[in-house]
Amino acid sequence: MLRVPGFELTRIAQPATRNFTMIHFERTKLENGLTVIVHQDQTTPMVAIDVCYNVGSRDEHPDRTGFAHLFEHLMFGGSKNIPVYDEPLQKAGGDNNAFTSNDLTNYYLTLPKNNIETGFWLESDRMLELAFSKSSLDVQRNVVIEEFKQRQLNQPYGDVWPLLRQLAFKVHPYQWPTIGREISHIEKATLQQVKDFFFAHYAPDNAVLVVTGDVDFDQVFRLAERWFGPIPNRKVKPRNLPKEPVQTEIREQTVIREVPNDTIYMAYHMDGRLDPDYFATDLVSDVLSNGNSSRMYQNLVQKEKLFSELDAYLSGDYEPGLFVVSGKPSNGISLETARMAIEQELDRMKQELVSSYELEKVKNKLEANIVYGEMNYLTKAMNLATNEVLDDAGLINSQVESYRSVTPEQIREVSQHLFRTENCSVLNYIAKK
Amino acid sequence: MLNRLIQPLVNPIEHIDMVKAEKRQLSNGIPVYYVNAGTQDVVKIDFVFEAGTWFQTSNLVASICNSMLEEGTSNFSSSEIAEKFDFYGAHLQLTVDQNQGFVNAISLGKHLPAILDVMEDLIKRSVFPEDELEVLIAKNKQKWLLENEKVRTLCQKKFTQVMFGDAHPYAINNTLEDFDRIAREDLIRFYQTHYHSGNCQIFVAGKVEEPVLRMLDVRFGENDWKQTNAKVPVYEINSSPKKFHHVEKANGLQSAIRVGKFWVTKSHPDYHALSVLTNILGGYFGSRLMTNIREEKGYTYGIGSFVLNLKQASYLVISTEVGNEYIEPTLVEIAAEMKRLQIEPISENELETVKSYLLGEFLRDFDGPFALAGSFKAINDFGLDYSFYDQALKVLRNITSEELMQLAQQYLNPEDFYTVVAGSKSI
Repeated sequence: MLRVPGFELTRIAQPATRNFTMIHFERTKLENGLTVIVHQDQTTPMVAIDVCYNVGSRDEHPDRTGFAHLFEHLMFGGSKNIPVYDEPLQKAGGDNNAFTSNDLTNYYLTLPKNNIETGFWLESDRMLELAFSKSSLDVQRNVVIEEFKQRQLNQPYGDVWPLLRQLAFKVHPYQWPTIGREISHIEKATLQQVKDFFFAHYAPDNAVLVVTGDVDFDQVFRLAERWFGPIPNRKVKPRNLPKEPVQTEIREQTVIREVPNDTIYMAYHMDGRLDPDYFATDLVSDVLSNGNSSRMYQNLVQKEKLFSELDAYLSGDYEPGLFVVSGKPSNGISLETARMAIEQELDRMKQELVSSYELEKVKNKLEANIVYGEMNYLTKAMNLATNEVLDDAGLINSQVESYRSVTPEQIREVSQHLFRTENCSVLNYIAKK
Repeated sequence: MLNRLIQPLVNPIEHIDMVKAEKRQLSNGIPVYYVNAGTQDVVKIDFVFEAGTWFQTSNLVASICNSMLEEGTSNFSSSEIAEKFDFYGAHLQLTVDQNQGFVNAISLGKHLPAILDVMEDLIKRSVFPEDELEVLIAKNKQKWLLENEKVRTLCQKKFTQVMFGDAHPYAINNTLEDFDRIAREDLIRFYQTHYHSGNCQIFVAGKVEEPVLRMLDVRFGENDWKQTNAKVPVYEINSSPKKFHHVEKANGLQSAIRVGKFWVTKSHPDYHALSVLTNILGGYFGSRLMTNIREEKGYTYGIGSFVLNLKQASYLVISTEVGNEYIEPTLVEIAAEMKRLQIEPISENELETVKSYLLGEFLRDFDGPFALAGSFKAINDFGLDYSFYDQALKVLRNITSEELMQLAQQYLNPEDFYTVVAGSKSI
């Protein structure tokens, strides 16, 4: 969910070793609870400022879904002392965007380094207090409804993800998508709810500020103290979400839609980002489908020609999320045949050990991707911020070793636990003839 | 005392460090343009051939030919090629546009020799295996079907047809049946005629030191892959006499809109000034269109304008997707915003804002090796040099609202624009 369409940053895979250089950063905590992180990158004339709030659609009331994302839009409607957000930033040569996920809401801007203070001024004022304007709410409600249509209702396969989440999660708020469960929830949002949401979640003690670029550590800490220091701690309540009960039997749903091709989706409950098995799980998806040399592509797309598209990926959620396999069968191949072929590949993961070559390959790929990601100061800011909200910005350095140390035995063990029939939710998405 | 009511002092952007691309030639004359910058040991290499859709004799040949390059060579099978790229964590990207065909790769410097070995083979010795071709066509058919369900695809296709005429290579007019007409021999012929040393340029960015350039010469500097260049076909633009077009797509909630006209090319004296004008109209978040149609009216998630510069033509296009009930009012507002630029001078404040924003964008366009290489290609493709950017900066810093109003009167007459709407509601 981006604030403005058109600018999508590719998500960088988790880090790995060797070529990878440690990202050095310094971190401090202001008295009001705001964590401040600084990383120096002297190759760019720009700075990135990232403010990440620990609130996402998982924190919404089931009858008011889509609120965190709607709120992200409202964060640009003016703050207590600054009537408009964008214009002063543009005057300083800056640019910005934001996104909301199930787990967090992230705001980021870039600007020439000698105008860094404008960024602090803008971001601190909207953390201090929003303007809460009714006209802004009226308009952004409409913008978000159009976004809802553009992303989901008016897109072929646009409702896949909401359907899958609803099928796999019965209790946990991961059951609804970030854009919201239905348009009416957005239509009904009131200004009072907006205010309550702000004071419940937008607070220095519930946020992380990251600055990257050709900056001086002390200068940034001084600026942070000056602009963010006076914002009161709001004693944000710790999150207490219901745990999703263990799934005990296979779930299956079939829908008929106006799309060109039948597609099958199989979602398996997996561990959260901080669980020790997460890294092996991520590598399982890479062995299966990362790149044209991957197993599923080589065997089922290229050799047996059963699919035209076949992917395995993680939902990327912080708490226990989903491991998804999705495939479009080739013309004339039934969903039953397709499903059996997928299950056969998953069974191989459960029975045989991956070769050391295969494992080395997916680890190399992770390593290379992190090096590519390190070339950009904004990517680094976002990775530091989102990892700090998860648990610790230092994960972007230590995860390297976590991936490198995964063994073929762990891959098999994780697969055995993951790919159990009773752990699976199947969505048959049938093309209307 | 902290004053939150006043913006901290803004420093103007005075200096922009434009690291320039350097030029070399391989022994056989292939030009190599390179930017040695950045700190990571990463290299991005783009092989560019004059092999875009302009040169194809039937639909899809240019793009399928390009996609097939990684599907088998005389030394490597498609799976061996995939295996190499994946094992070394390198990314291969094969694309075509209207004029060019690209073979691009990004790799860690330490793996570059191995990656270049494979690239040499797929550029010089592709064999177009039947089996892989069949899979690729089936895959692309499904993709085509999916894309053609989207109102934005339907709208863009129609828009290019309206602007250029169905038979022009800049018009996107491929059909599902075109996939069945693809013959392997046509692809091989296209490959032989267009992917050779006499038709190639190389762009390299990242950590590009002498060994990298030497490696390129060893693999690509010989005359063993030279062919005679094909004649460049000539096409006439044949625009529709009708300004308004509608494409029917049943049951949609939103419609896609394109409003556009031919534009001046990069070498035209008005180009830079017009670029400021079109940014004010729809080129950034604070633009007139975004402010009015999204931020004040809420008709859309996004609306913007951009200029597409192709070798033989440039056009300006405004593009958006709106709820069906907002089509009419959106079109009215787009025209009103053009009119407003023609009759009302842009305020000092707005002009300052857009100038600063665009200067910031300038900095971004010259930040890092890949951006630097991109900025070079954007002039090199049009036979321009870096004075283009000096001139752009000069115009940007000095332009006045009077000049912009005059340009709007000359270039932004709503009645000159083509409008295409794709969606379920006929209007």
